[in-house]
Amino acid sequence: MKLPDKASALQQGVIIFVFLAVLTALEFLIAVAIETIALLAVVAVMKVGLVAYYYMHIHKLGEDAGEDRHSVAYRTATSRLGLWLFLLSDSFVFGGLAVARFNLLGFTRPHLSQVLGLAVTSILLLSSFFMNRAEASMAHDDRKGFGIGMVVTLMLGIAFVAGVLGVEWPTAIAEGVSPSASAGGAIFFMMTGMHALHVITGLVLLGIVWRNGSRGLYSADRHWAVEAAAVYWHFVDVVWIFFYPALYLVGRVA
Amino acid sequence: MQKFLASALARGLAWQLGGWLVGAGMVTGIRLLMGLSPLGLFFFTEPAWVFGGFLGVLAFVAGSRIVDDWTKWAKGEQIPDHRDDPPGWGKYIGVSLDHKVIGIQYTITSLLLLVVGGSFALVFRTELSRSGMQFLSLQWYNTLMSLHGIGMIIGILLGVAGVMNYLVPMLIGAQDMAFPRLNAFSFWIAVPAVVLLLSSLALGGFDTGWTGYPPLSARGPVGTQMFFLGVFTAGWSSILGGLNLIATTLRLRARGMTAFRMPILVWAALATSLITLTATQLIGLSFQLVVFQRLFGMGFFDPAKGGNPVLFQHLFWFYSHPAVYVFVLPGLGVISELLPVFVRKPLYGYRWIAMSSLGIALVGFLVWAHHMFASGMNSYLQVPFMYSTLLVAVPTGVKFFSWVATVWKGKIDMPTPMLFVLGGIVVFLLGGLSGPPNATVATDLHLTDTYFIVGHFHDTIFGGYVFPFFAAIYYWFPKATGRRMDEKLGKLHFWLMTPSFLTLTLLMMRVGLLGMRRRIADYDPALGFDGYHLLMTIAGYLIALSVAIFLFNLFRSIKRGEKAEGNLWNSRSPEWQVSSPMPAHNFDEPIEVVGEPYDYGLAGSQYTRFVQAAQNKDLHS
Repeated sequence: MKLPDKASALQQGVIIFVFLAVLTALEFLIAVAIETIALLAVVAVMKVGLVAYYYMHIHKLGEDAGEDRHSVAYRTATSRLGLWLFLLSDSFVFGGLAVARFNLLGFTRPHLSQVLGLAVTSILLLSSFFMNRAEASMAHDDRKGFGIGMVVTLMLGIAFVAGVLGVEWPTAIAEGVSPSASAGGAIFFMMTGMHALHVITGLVLLGIVWRNGSRGLYSADRHWAVEAAAVYWHFVDVVWIFFYPALYLVGRVA
Repeated sequence: MQKFLASALARGLAWQLGGWLVGAGMVTGIRLLMGLSPLGLFFFTEPAWVFGGFLGVLAFVAGSRIVDDWTKWAKGEQIPDHRDDPPGWGKYIGVSLDHKVIGIQYTITSLLLLVVGGSFALVFRTELSRSGMQFLSLQWYNTLMSLHGIGMIIGILLGVAGVMNYLVPMLIGAQDMAFPRLNAFSFWIAVPAVVLLLSSLALGGFDTGWTGYPPLSARGPVGTQMFFLGVFTAGWSSILGGLNLIATTLRLRARGMTAFRMPILVWAALATSLITLTATQLIGLSFQLVVFQRLFGMGFFDPAKGGNPVLFQHLFWFYSHPAVYVFVLPGLGVISELLPVFVRKPLYGYRWIAMSSLGIALVGFLVWAHHMFASGMNSYLQVPFMYSTLLVAVPTGVKFFSWVATVWKGKIDMPTPMLFVLGGIVVFLLGGLSGPPNATVATDLHLTDTYFIVGHFHDTIFGGYVFPFFAAIYYWFPKATGRRMDEKLGKLHFWLMTPSFLTLTLLMMRVGLLGMRRRIADYDPALGFDGYHLLMTIAGYLIALSVAIFLFNLFRSIKRGEKAEGNLWNSRSPEWQVSSPMPAHNFDEPIEVVGEPYDYGLAGSQYTRFVQAAQNKDLHS
């Protein structure tokens, strides 16, 4: 397989990010202007499609890795399948939480600040962009680009966790949306909490990969760990692409 | 003794206990600082027990050093592809990466847990043999009844994992699983889970039944939390084990083994793993939500806070119904695998059988609410779920047609494994026929929560799991040890267990139809059930006796069984083409598949051959 050259790989990342940003803005406007759930669902599915194909490279699952069971390519392909199976499994937790949310709240939403929601969403989306840059750089042996991408991703990830746990949670409680007050509050804290737990796990993985990467353990040919951390990080973003409209945009305030 | 104390098992358990106490102590300290009451009914408070239990699991993982290789990887160190096991029995209580050792570890743990869960049943069965309360308190009755349920369920899950772990790599001609370290982790995480589960006995028990429905489970004793935590932890074993089996089946099959040349047991394992990989998350989530409701007052299932108890039942049954297919699919796979060997005829309708396993697994995702016809869920859900449930009978029927057609005009050989295969078919048929009355709404409203359900359920699980599991042990025991189990004792086991079991479940269904409620500790003598219950209790003890004979036979045969090193059953399957016990890396020479798996009795047909030998032959010709 021929890799695209580095400039066009990075350029593709930028284009996809612009699409994602426009869709996110559009989503926000749809929610504020017209209350329609179907459109929000369409936008979310489009965003997930873009992330899954261009940032998570789901198409690599179908690539031929040859016949030699002991080759790096074959073993990487097996690991890739394992990672995607894990993500499939994990998505059932988030799916279950989403079902619980609609069962408990119907088409109403908790009383939350939509602007704050948009802010943390943008931070996470931006981190996905830089994660993609870091991975693309490593795929072309650009250690410096990799380092910068990883550091920015890590910082944005920490900012996201701080934003949700440190700003959003106290704000929500002050507004009367608390874990013990009502089932609606409980499911809000459960969804954001479970997601934040995954973001924190992702940060630990990114930290490990960044450290090992800066010690020169990966190369353009062998950087499965970088790819795995990136796919996981984008998956966490994918979950938020559904959770954000489900919590902040859908329906009227309860 | 020293060997034991230094083992991963002993270290893990010691660390788990330590972690538990440290965690509980931490929460107690924090409560003291916050001015909350530091101690509760069972010395520590509930949050302290729960956090301690959670920390104990992490401590077990750290203490048994099952994640050492992963920490090394995170530090950027090189880790070897393989680790050789020490000789002797020490490897079975240590961390091994060999799927055969892990399979046996699973199986032994499973047998232990099944014996414990089974003896709980004997205790409350004795209590039930006469109306009126004899020697158990109501709380103890409920606890034993609940622990019998969940103990058997986790035991069966571990047994299923044992059979699949041991067999799948061999059957597809692989050297090991796709992720050996993850495989070891999947087994070892189940050990602290079992400890947590059984610890509920000492912490007030739990009286909710294994289903753990709120609101009752939201206010029972601390033991309820240990039950939730134990099942949650055991769930990870299931999920990761399923992941590994899918990846192994998709990536490591021998050359030439196309999808429709895979052994049926591998198809069954694949279907099972699809369920455990995905649906298990939902029981974990539902239990986690109750744990949080109890700890932090989050009102998911509390109507006073706008919560919905029926939501729990939906999340819970989304896993817990497919879970019964996790129990039976591998067993039905074992039946299809062994039948052709003992009738010396091709398996009838191979493709249909392969697809029926997947069919059952997929339809199984759409039937969960048939457990909830009487729960007060929206009534428009009843009819669709009735039909989807009845649909399960179609792929299951395909299996029965194939078995009957396979046996038809066959030259039947009747060693112990075959007895259990045929017994399994008969018992599973009873379980299957007693199913549709529970699936149709009109009859279910009468039958739900009666002993009829108990009888139906035990028939499906014995027919679909217990009988085939015994068949599998009698059949593959020589593969693991190089010796065979005693035939006379095996036949005694079968002829003692089968009639007793049929008496037990048929009487269960009878008293159920007459109005005996399930899960209750006592019944009105005026109902006239005393005689039936006495008979059921005697049957229960006879089953226990037969299992005791089996265990005696099993452990005696490890050292003293008759030697059986070759292809004992004259099977075509790849694992029997090499010596017994199986070599360390299964196939020293790689194999390739050149024909159909079940063409027994067809002259000149071949399923597998060794690649090396084939090349030599080509050179000479």
